[in-house]
Amino acid sequence: MKLLLVEDEAKIAEFVCAGLAARGMEVTHCTDGNTGFARAYEGPFDAIVLDIMLPGRDGLSVLKGLRDAGVGTPVVLLTARNELGDRVAGLNLGADDYLAKPFFVEELVARLRAIERRLAGDRQNTVQVGHLKLDRITRQASCDHRGHSRNIELTSREFSLLEYLMRSPGQVFTRSQILEHVWGYDFDPSTNVVDVCIKRIRARIASIDTGSDPAGNAVPSPQTPGPIESVRGVGYRFAPAT
Amino acid sequence: MTLSFRFRVFVLATMIVGVVLGAVMVVGWSSVQQLEGARLNDRLCMEARRLATQPFRAEALTRLEADVALKLRLGSAGQLLLRVDAAGGPPPIASAGWRDAPDPDSLNWAAAPRRDARNPPDDQRPERSPGPPDRTLDTAPDSLPGPPPGDHPGEPNRERQSEASPPHKMAGPEGCGLASFRRQGDDWRAARYTAGAARSVLAADLTSSQAELQSAAQRALLWVVPLALLLTAVGAWVLASLTTQPVNRLALAMKQMTPQALDQRLPSEGEDREFKALIGDYNTMLARLEVSFHQASRFSADAAHELKTPLTILQGRLELAIGRADNRMAPAELTGMLDEVGRLAAITRKLLLLSQADAGQLALHTTPVDVTELLDALVADAHMLIASQTISAAIARGLVACGDSALLRQLLNNLLSNAVRYSLPTGAIRIEGRALLGGVEVVFANPTVPIEAVHRARFFERFFRGDPAHNRAVEGSGLGLSLSRELARAHGGDLTLEPSEAGEVRMRLWLPQRRT
Repeated sequence: MKLLLVEDEAKIAEFVCAGLAARGMEVTHCTDGNTGFARAYEGPFDAIVLDIMLPGRDGLSVLKGLRDAGVGTPVVLLTARNELGDRVAGLNLGADDYLAKPFFVEELVARLRAIERRLAGDRQNTVQVGHLKLDRITRQASCDHRGHSRNIELTSREFSLLEYLMRSPGQVFTRSQILEHVWGYDFDPSTNVVDVCIKRIRARIASIDTGSDPAGNAVPSPQTPGPIESVRGVGYRFAPAT
Repeated sequence: MTLSFRFRVFVLATMIVGVVLGAVMVVGWSSVQQLEGARLNDRLCMEARRLATQPFRAEALTRLEADVALKLRLGSAGQLLLRVDAAGGPPPIASAGWRDAPDPDSLNWAAAPRRDARNPPDDQRPERSPGPPDRTLDTAPDSLPGPPPGDHPGEPNRERQSEASPPHKMAGPEGCGLASFRRQGDDWRAARYTAGAARSVLAADLTSSQAELQSAAQRALLWVVPLALLLTAVGAWVLASLTTQPVNRLALAMKQMTPQALDQRLPSEGEDREFKALIGDYNTMLARLEVSFHQASRFSADAAHELKTPLTILQGRLELAIGRADNRMAPAELTGMLDEVGRLAAITRKLLLLSQADAGQLALHTTPVDVTELLDALVADAHMLIASQTISAAIARGLVACGDSALLRQLLNNLLSNAVRYSLPTGAIRIEGRALLGGVEVVFANPTVPIEAVHRARFFERFFRGDPAHNRAVEGSGLGLSLSRELARAHGGDLTLEPSEAGEVRMRLWLPQRRT
């Protein structure tokens, strides 16, 4: 995925570039609005990550200029000061998504992947790792159990969490990252809601494997650790398919 | 009870005008009476002289009486007594009424006052004897040139006599004496005129002639007084309204000012000087308020913004470090730091939202929001958090409010996490959602440690976190409720702490269904 990052704060640009590059994305970085507009206009990019507070020409003006010039490249806005006003203005000007500072690079990746999928059409709407399969359209999880597929009943939150982990098998996600992606930034980070939710997903997957109560209520601890692994003191990861 | 200023001005104005009106009427009436009395005296003297000096026939007494009564402008001949002792010629004639009247010779006669054009008889003796019946014959002795009697020191006899002395000023007839007496319960005024041997005495009934005057006045006043009172009341009301009008206009203008529009100023054009000064003072106060308010609001907005860049860098680097396999710090340590950064970021965000709400600059992206769905998801989350506690949720289906979905979610989330945070482990949290008054009402109730009223009153204060001894272990910034209320109000709704027993907290949220 080929990206343009327009961000004047060097330290922010540094870790964003590093994080995106680590996910296999090719990032071009520029530090002011006018250069940003020029580079975006020349293109082509799969998506543009655009800070709003920029020297020279602010992000909203760059966005408006691009849309007026007929450049339809998806834009993710980074907002800091007037989060709500910029969000409304940005979405009205044709931004595809917005992220409020401070943000997780992992969340930016998730948003960019969603844009990528939307552009790619139906092809990437299922995720499969091991014998677990998710359908993003119907939001239905299923599990291959002894040759035939069985549905796993998950709540909306549980599905989002599982999908987030399964998108990058093997990668560790912290509780904060999970909380922000699944519950939104306004959820109290001191709660253990992520752990409880993980426990429930594990129980539901295990109930398919062991064939017990699908509601996941009175399930004995599974013999196998299951696909979601705890990383002590950090968070969780989805075990890569072997 | 506080009276309205307008009403007080009205009552006061009515009272003042009423008292002045009454005083004018009393003074006017007494001068009319005095004038009438003086005129009667004059006429009596004139008639007495005519009777004493003109020849007449005794058999014409009735005609004479009628004639004199007409000249004296009395109502009837019955209000008149006359007696004429002609000099030497015909026998004396006298009205029949003299039988039950005192003998004219026994009356205390006084010289008739001389009236001239310069000195109207304002200050003369009262025409009606003011005393009890035993003092009816209270006039000075007949034609006394000497000093006035000592038993009436207050009476202006001296003036009268000194006035009587210059002959060129005389207007009344010479040789006329006046006296008062009582007959059949009425006051009478008598005049005696002596011309040589001839003498005439005329007496008129003061009480009944005054009664006529009085009834004429009453007939006129019957219309005039209520009309005057009505006009006074209307005038006073108009006056009171005029007085309160600038105040009311000012109050209305002040009421229309919102904290979000501190830059407004009250116009003082066309106002009176006093109100101009008042408006000027108010505007000065408003300007000072605006400056300090904007400083405070701008300060927190700037602070929040300035905090965001380092927070973003901190969070990004921690995230990057955790992801790297080769980092030197223990990942658990980094995760803990990341959590704290998250908390800082949440507080910063709340401060920024609060300062924007204070400045009236909360930009809402309003759409119809499915409140039922939001609440269901939050209740499901709460079930995960507090499995040991019971949550009873009674949420009506299809609740829709008009608002910014992200902010409404934050608002409801704040309220529910507050209920979860401060609830007793044994108690049950209740959530009720229903349609109410063209909007959506959501009530969050949770059992708590008993909270004193003092602390309840401070619930919506920023950074207030209840009793510190009890809540030290509970996470939270103390901004949640304050922000929640601002968010509710920015949506045209409100958040209130409902009265309840000490061991329960009930928060009531109302949001309008349509954009306001």
